[in-house]
Amino acid sequence: MHRGKGMKFVGDSRVPAERKPNIPKDYSEFPGKTEAFWPNFLLKEWMVGAVFLIGYLVLTIVHESPLEKKADPTDAGYIPLPDWYFLFLYQLLKYKYAAGDYVLIGTVIIPGLAFGALMLAPFLDTGLERRPSKRPIATGLMLLGLISVTYLTWESVVTHDWEKAKTQGKIVDVSFDQNDPGYQIYQKQSCVGCHGNTLTGGASGPSLIGTGLKPEEIMKIAKEGKPPGMPPNAFKGSDEELKQLAEFISKLEKK
Amino acid sequence: MLQKIYDWVDERLDITPLWRDVADHEVPEHVNPAHHFSAFVYCFGGLTFFITVIQILSGMFLTMYYVPDIVNAWESVYYLQNEVAFGVIVRGMHHWGASLVIVMMFLHTLRVFFQGAYKKPRELNWVVGVLIFFVMLGLGFTGYLLPWDMKALFATKVGIEIAMTIPVVGPIAKTFLAGGEIIGAQTLTRFFAIHVFFLPAALLGLMGAHFLMIRKQGISGPL
Amino acid sequence: MSKEDISRRQFLNYTLTGVGGFMAAGMLMPMVRFALDPILKEGSDQKLVAVTSIEELSNEPKRFDFKIKQKDGWYESDVTQSAWVYKAKNGDIIALSPICKHLGCTVDWNTDPSHPNQFFCPCHLGRYTKDGTNVKGTAPLAPLDVYDSQVKDGKLYLGKAKPRKGA
Repeated sequence: MHRGKGMKFVGDSRVPAERKPNIPKDYSEFPGKTEAFWPNFLLKEWMVGAVFLIGYLVLTIVHESPLEKKADPTDAGYIPLPDWYFLFLYQLLKYKYAAGDYVLIGTVIIPGLAFGALMLAPFLDTGLERRPSKRPIATGLMLLGLISVTYLTWESVVTHDWEKAKTQGKIVDVSFDQNDPGYQIYQKQSCVGCHGNTLTGGASGPSLIGTGLKPEEIMKIAKEGKPPGMPPNAFKGSDEELKQLAEFISKLEKK
Repeated sequence: MLQKIYDWVDERLDITPLWRDVADHEVPEHVNPAHHFSAFVYCFGGLTFFITVIQILSGMFLTMYYVPDIVNAWESVYYLQNEVAFGVIVRGMHHWGASLVIVMMFLHTLRVFFQGAYKKPRELNWVVGVLIFFVMLGLGFTGYLLPWDMKALFATKVGIEIAMTIPVVGPIAKTFLAGGEIIGAQTLTRFFAIHVFFLPAALLGLMGAHFLMIRKQGISGPL
Repeated sequence: MSKEDISRRQFLNYTLTGVGGFMAAGMLMPMVRFALDPILKEGSDQKLVAVTSIEELSNEPKRFDFKIKQKDGWYESDVTQSAWVYKAKNGDIIALSPICKHLGCTVDWNTDPSHPNQFFCPCHLGRYTKDGTNVKGTAPLAPLDVYDSQVKDGKLYLGKAKPRKGA
């Protein structure tokens, strides 16, 4: 390219008017089997990407992303579970010395030390040796961290009540007539407290939808109770009302 | 035709060197899986970037239907998943991508760590990388709340309670994140803003720095 | 650089474009279909709603308000719509939408003193004759929409307003 005196520019801009011939660099004489990024290497990368994308799309089609029922802050019986990559932290806080009076250890000190060390690794491990076997302290600490995160996640998964988790957030699609005399009685009596506004159950009472019970059986339970949760004589009203209520509940079905 | 348009722009702006610099840079043998199969470990960073692109795109499309409001959020997610064509796939891409990106980033971090690639002169790039990791975790945490279903609400409650235990700043952090005293309408809009604007902006900046440093320093040599 | 080398490079470039195109398509196809869904969705059919008894109708257009259930995505609401309804000479009941075909203002009956017995839109002085046809030379370019209507048990039921061909 022309340099110094006599340089030409495009108009009054700073773009030089003379162009370099566009010859890609030649790596054929470089040591090793070096190659150009475009198109040689990128093609390999994108082929990996394409295979990955296919797997990814298959995953999204096979496993529908979950959606539980709409958030209901009053449902006290719900056992929360964070996303899987936070499970280790969640599990850590269940241990005696990371909870209660020691909660600081669990929430600030241990994660702070671990992530702080991770971030500052280049300044803590300043030796020039790069092989993992030649820097045992760094390698050992990382392995320790890996093992503890894996263990904590594993423990968290094992101790979680998956059976309950499956049912607790389910979308229940029921429609019933809010003006049904049975529902009016249901609301007036104490039933609502445990079985919930929509009869889907709650902290202390099971769902009343799709029980498959006959009205007589429901009347019996309402009067005599049902261990462990349902107390006897929970229903306080006339026999006529009891009958209406029982018929209303026995008709509720899952859609 | 295309060539003419290109030449017209190139004459004025001299854009060839810009992309030539990226296109022609050399890729050494030891990272090329065609020569050494074990070099597939170098793919994790690229795959992380690929999923990030998918996340950004699918997220942009999801906001065409999603409303960050406690009355409508769940309804709109339910609608886009069940009523809109391909809604399952687009939401699925965003949902599973969120997990996959963590996996890929984790593997990438382990690769860099065990190869000691963070050592001088690449310290800064490692720090930026760890910051990207934190931003991703933040995106995961804030995104978890947005569908406003049971697990979203209760997991966020737990998360914010954990923030609460930090001495001195805890209660302030809690109120700041929740936007009030309870996890409710104001929390959702806040998390939406953080998830959609603040963290992605930070992510783009950090990723730009990450890639710039890689281009400048080149990839670390073989062990 | 030999000839062979160029063709190899070109081959790589073509393959690269192909793989890149495949990835872009795989990624974007579901998303674009997702975004285009409202265009490809079939219009919802609206249930006929009882508006008034036919005894109240005369030859003079009269405005009736009625409520319909509108489902807008996940949002369901009751929306009030209105119609100009009158009996034509041959006994047919005609229900016209009051939405001006120009820019969507609301037309009124017989409010322009210089042009009696016409629908008049105050926004841009648009006018329509009694059967809803736009008067040439005024702003609107199409006749007023007509509601699907049905008479059952002495009551008038209205459905969706449908556009007519331009006059």
